[in-house]
Amino acid sequence: MSRRAPVVRTSASDRVARLLAMVPWIAAQDGPTVDEVCQRFALSRRKLIEDLEVLMMVGVPPYTPDTLIDVIIEGDRVWLRFADVFARPLHLTPEQGLALVAAGSGSQGLPGGEPHGPLATALGKLAGVLGVDPAEAVSVTLGESRPGMLDALRTAAAEGHRVRIDYYSYGRDERTTRTVDPHAVYADGGAWYLRGYCHKARDLRQFRVERVVDIQVLDETFDREAATATAGDTGAGAEFAPGPDVPRVTLDLAPEAAWVVETYPVDEVNDLDDGWRRVRLAVTATPWLERLLVRLGRHARVVEADVSDLLTAGPRAARRILDRYRRG
Amino acid sequence: MSAAKLERLLNLTALLLETPRPLSAQEIRERLRAYPDDTDAFRRAFERDKEDLRAMGVPLTVQDVPGVVPVVEGYRIPKDRYYLRDPGLTPDELAALRLAASVVRLDGLSASEGLLKLGGLVGEPGGGLGLAVGSLPGSNVGPLFGAITAQLPVRFGYRGEERTVDPYRIEFQRGRWYLSGHDHARAAERVFRLDRFDGPARVLPGPRFERPAVAVPGVQLAPWQLGEGEAIEARVLVDAAQAPWIVQHLGAGAVVEERPDGSVVVGMTVTNRENFRSFVLTFLDHAEVLAPDDLRDDVVAWLEAQVGAA
Repeated sequence: MSRRAPVVRTSASDRVARLLAMVPWIAAQDGPTVDEVCQRFALSRRKLIEDLEVLMMVGVPPYTPDTLIDVIIEGDRVWLRFADVFARPLHLTPEQGLALVAAGSGSQGLPGGEPHGPLATALGKLAGVLGVDPAEAVSVTLGESRPGMLDALRTAAAEGHRVRIDYYSYGRDERTTRTVDPHAVYADGGAWYLRGYCHKARDLRQFRVERVVDIQVLDETFDREAATATAGDTGAGAEFAPGPDVPRVTLDLAPEAAWVVETYPVDEVNDLDDGWRRVRLAVTATPWLERLLVRLGRHARVVEADVSDLLTAGPRAARRILDRYRRG
Repeated sequence: MSAAKLERLLNLTALLLETPRPLSAQEIRERLRAYPDDTDAFRRAFERDKEDLRAMGVPLTVQDVPGVVPVVEGYRIPKDRYYLRDPGLTPDELAALRLAASVVRLDGLSASEGLLKLGGLVGEPGGGLGLAVGSLPGSNVGPLFGAITAQLPVRFGYRGEERTVDPYRIEFQRGRWYLSGHDHARAAERVFRLDRFDGPARVLPGPRFERPAVAVPGVQLAPWQLGEGEAIEARVLVDAAQAPWIVQHLGAGAVVEERPDGSVVVGMTVTNRENFRSFVLTFLDHAEVLAPDDLRDDVVAWLEAQVGAA
């Protein structure tokens, strides 16, 4: 027995679904142009004519001329009559509704997503169709950012304007001012990022937009096309993978510290007794390790480090923090 | 798909929408006159057609044909369940939805299918927007959304235990989907991480639930509030360099005092002391718990244990 290929089945349903959506729209207009129908329903002219030819054979019993859909093509315009049975499109499936509502929710902080703009009113109207207010049922947060920051960055990227940013680097625990040629702004894994050429680092860098404290759009411009080509910026949001030259540290982690393995890229994990695990991690900046160790306290032990300085990072940081408390 | 099959599916849909009573397979065959003469071939073709319609979301119902003995199954498509209510979207609104859908995509879900039904593709996709969003995980989310809108309970395995939940809300935050709803066995509201489901959720046929009259609160992800402990009001001093970030993270409402040197004192409501300590320590020596004393002492004791061990 031969199995039907799923690809074919999908396209079969697609064509029917498209027609069932298109018929009520054309029937409700007074002779839209063929071009407009093609554009709205993402069809080529040839496909549209093929579909309209099929429609002429569709209707309800007894399939006499007055019960078949009447297709009139005159000049460049098209009319449908006797299509009352398809007066409305087929209802939205949950997936189709979700795709729109989630997109709408996620875009609300973006340009066009103003509180009373067309996106907000569209979502409000969909409440009636879905039976539940989208704002109550679905919420999508792509990432945190300061008001106006995303818009400033994406405009600068689109127009090729250099920016000066006041940036708090979490890993290095320092605030710096950098001049950046912004190449792209994107969301990934629950945060917004700016990718661009950093003049301070003289290399491509990614910045978390929520940690951009302030931005100044400069008059200087850069050639966006050329810059992204020469800097080896391939566009995609590259996965953070520490290189081999970054020092490693080996830690024993208690079961309470299991989140470390889920949160950071680890080179290696080995199970020890009593639920403890031995992991090898890249340390891109010392403050990052200090922070990890003071938080974990007795739930972590440093076993080995490529750089001897890292062996005592935890107690050193703990002492520094204690000094502050004793002053206070 | 052949034009003949397309024509047959459309005529089948029209027939079942218009019929005042359920039609048996035999009646459908006679009225449409579009199926093969051979009985087996007809059955196979009819089964495929039903599958195709259902895959598109056509509400094809099966009921006994009235007044026929022995009982024969009949088919129809109820208009009230087939027809999409017209939300009356303006071209501007359609364009805004299209733009949003081109920026925020869900894996495996198509936004254009919905747009076509709502009036077609209007405006421009978001090419010029200068923003990109990696698509969000989409599997398992669609059926949950369907259950939320239909107000039907769902059942799923969660870390080895079967849970039955009236689903209220799904949220995407910090890279993950969460479901909030009323957990039947616990008789309380709970939040579930979708990536911790043991398998796909099943939508139960009933009973329908009523949504709570008050708005369902958003998922609480502040780690220092994950806990059933007594709520304690804490005061934390954060240095100038880190101040903008904490203010953005907690919201301007959390700021209790702005000092001349740019540092800020923020108020935090704490129900989980361990997570609070851990959060404050991410600032290393750039933050300090000011009050209450026992939370401050807790941080000091935690750090002293580490210095002693060195």
